[in-house]
Amino acid sequence: MATPPAPVPPVTANSAPTPAQSPFKAPPFSQPPSTAGTLKTEIPPASSSAAIAAGVAAVGAAAEDSSHVITVPSYSGWFSYDSISDTERRLLPEFFEGEVAAVSGSRGPEAYKYYRNTLVKRFRARPARRLTLTEARRGLIGDVGSVRRVFDFLEEWGLINHGAPPLGAKQGKDKREEATTSQSSLPAGPTTPKKLCVGCRSVCGSAYFTCEKADISICCRCFVRGNYRPGLTPADFKKVEISEDAKSDWTDKETLHLLEAVLHYGEDWKKVSEHVGSRSEKDCIARLIRLSFGEQFMGSKEQKMEFEIDDDVNNESRAEIPKRPRLTPLADASNPIMQRVAFLSAIVGSGVAAAAAQAAISAQSQVDMNDNQTDSPISSTKEEVFSAESSYTNGFSANDLLKEASTNAQVQLQKEQKDIEQSLSAIVDVQMKEIQDKISRFEQKELLMEKEREQLHHLRELLFVDQLAVVQHQRRPHAVAAENKEEEKPKPIITMG
Amino acid sequence: MKTVSLGAPRSSTVKFHRPTRDNLVPIRVDIEVDGQRYRDAFTWNPRDPDSEVITFAKRTAKELKLPATFVPQILQSIQGQLAEFRSYEGQEMQVKEKIMPLKIDLRVNNTTIRDQFLWDIGNLESDPEEFARTLCDDLNITDPEVGPAIAVCIREQLYEIASQTVSAMREAKMSKKRRAPEFASNSKAMNNAVDMFKYFGSKGSVIRKRKEWYLYEPVVDVVPKEEAAVVDAKEQLK
Repeated sequence: MATPPAPVPPVTANSAPTPAQSPFKAPPFSQPPSTAGTLKTEIPPASSSAAIAAGVAAVGAAAEDSSHVITVPSYSGWFSYDSISDTERRLLPEFFEGEVAAVSGSRGPEAYKYYRNTLVKRFRARPARRLTLTEARRGLIGDVGSVRRVFDFLEEWGLINHGAPPLGAKQGKDKREEATTSQSSLPAGPTTPKKLCVGCRSVCGSAYFTCEKADISICCRCFVRGNYRPGLTPADFKKVEISEDAKSDWTDKETLHLLEAVLHYGEDWKKVSEHVGSRSEKDCIARLIRLSFGEQFMGSKEQKMEFEIDDDVNNESRAEIPKRPRLTPLADASNPIMQRVAFLSAIVGSGVAAAAAQAAISAQSQVDMNDNQTDSPISSTKEEVFSAESSYTNGFSANDLLKEASTNAQVQLQKEQKDIEQSLSAIVDVQMKEIQDKISRFEQKELLMEKEREQLHHLRELLFVDQLAVVQHQRRPHAVAAENKEEEKPKPIITMG
Repeated sequence: MKTVSLGAPRSSTVKFHRPTRDNLVPIRVDIEVDGQRYRDAFTWNPRDPDSEVITFAKRTAKELKLPATFVPQILQSIQGQLAEFRSYEGQEMQVKEKIMPLKIDLRVNNTTIRDQFLWDIGNLESDPEEFARTLCDDLNITDPEVGPAIAVCIREQLYEIASQTVSAMREAKMSKKRRAPEFASNSKAMNNAVDMFKYFGSKGSVIRKRKEWYLYEPVVDVVPKEEAAVVDAKEQLK
């Protein structure tokens, strides 16, 4: 260790500290949270690692400060000031293993403990406020890299900044754990009038999904995309509608008015809404449909199941989703009946839906007969719905369509193969032809060459004959007079020949 | 191995290493953009990957709500200092037991601290962070930002000394003079080194003389806010 200076004399009088906040040395908390009584122990913390979202984020109980209650998520129940748990050892090995840790002061277990305890204390002194890294590392003696790692670890596990308001763009970080802890820490109030989706931070439309397990609510799009924590299945989600009913409940009086109005005015929704009072036409219609008349509608609804196609069959992206009961949030949201139909058919599956439809048809016909006296409006709306229904795809269930599609694909495949083979053979033919052409041309040329050769030969012979003739000719007439020339002429001739 | 006139302690050449347990780099950042000033000092571990620097810069800017123009400047500043450190890294320096006085004269927020003490720059196990922590605890300094400032200050001084050693070594090598006492006295910084022999010789004693106590006392002042603001303004004008 370094040679320390001479023993430090007591502090001079001027340095009386006036702490603005409680000094972080004095622990204001009597108990570490692990010993607090009412912790939920659903998920053993040892089973999670940093990469996996840290289990169920139900908020456990707290250690009590004098004035505030500190909440710590149940998956961080192992935390205690005095010791270092296995989780920490596992997830931050650089502090505990290796020569580096043993050697260096900034990297050893004591240093880790010091950072960790200081950070936690600082946060707990002001739990409503988010502790930023910069603030933290300014107050910590040590290299910022290590401080940052401990800080991130603590934040991830909810020991720091748990429930503190997020810092703007920090939510965009792609650590899933952060997203999940923030989701869990958000006050998921079902009482809030405007539903904010936790996954994409947008206002939910007419319907959203809540999950009791995780106490979060997400909008339709997020549900479809699977934008929720990996620990949850779609089955955990319940669809909740933001319907007019929820917004303002229909009192019995209003319902009574509505029924009266409908009886009197039939389909004239304007008058009906007037009669009811403070309800728009749409409200009236919707309410009416939801009423006990809905039982009569059940018949028609079940019939619609036969025709029913979840939108997801039309929607290509969902073709791969395995067949299991699933909600269909993309069902036509504007038409409440359609929603119900989609919901029900998805729940029961195609076989049951078909059977129900049969029963419904027979019931429907009976109902139709009994129903003549009432509500032309009701039957007219039924018809509207009918026609809307039939405008959907023809009555194949999802299964059949899939099969058809696959056989089609097969056929196409085979066709392709045949085509390929054909074109291959065509190519081969063409090449053969080329070769044959070439061969014939060569043959012709050979012929020509032969001919020329023969001609040459012939010419040569002729020439030879001519030479002979000349020689003989010269010899005979000039035999007498050409004794002198014999010597001369044969020579040139001979040399020529 | 060369023996020095000091006697038993022998010098050895090692790779450049701060005379501390961790080879951390003190970084000082002082950037002014559009009238906004950002000053900071901290220690950085050069073993961290360089990608950390940009993450750190962004995070700091975001948390302190600095405009985005700060980020590249911070980045450059940090990287420059790291590069400088790394340029020393491969070189040798001579390490032997040498005791140097270090000074601290800082003002952090409301607290001023002045201190002077002796530090063995030959001791590779020394730990400025530990020292700073102990100092703050002992002096009951409540402002947590004082500690890191002290640690950075110590490291900077050690860095100075170490880099001077390195350059002295280089000069010595180039001039091919290999006499240890010669370059020990060449360097200005080394002149400040205390000759321990004198202290611990037969006549001296380990205990400091009483009249010298006041020199080595740490002095901590907590100034009220107005004064701090005044001093701040003065410094800005400089």
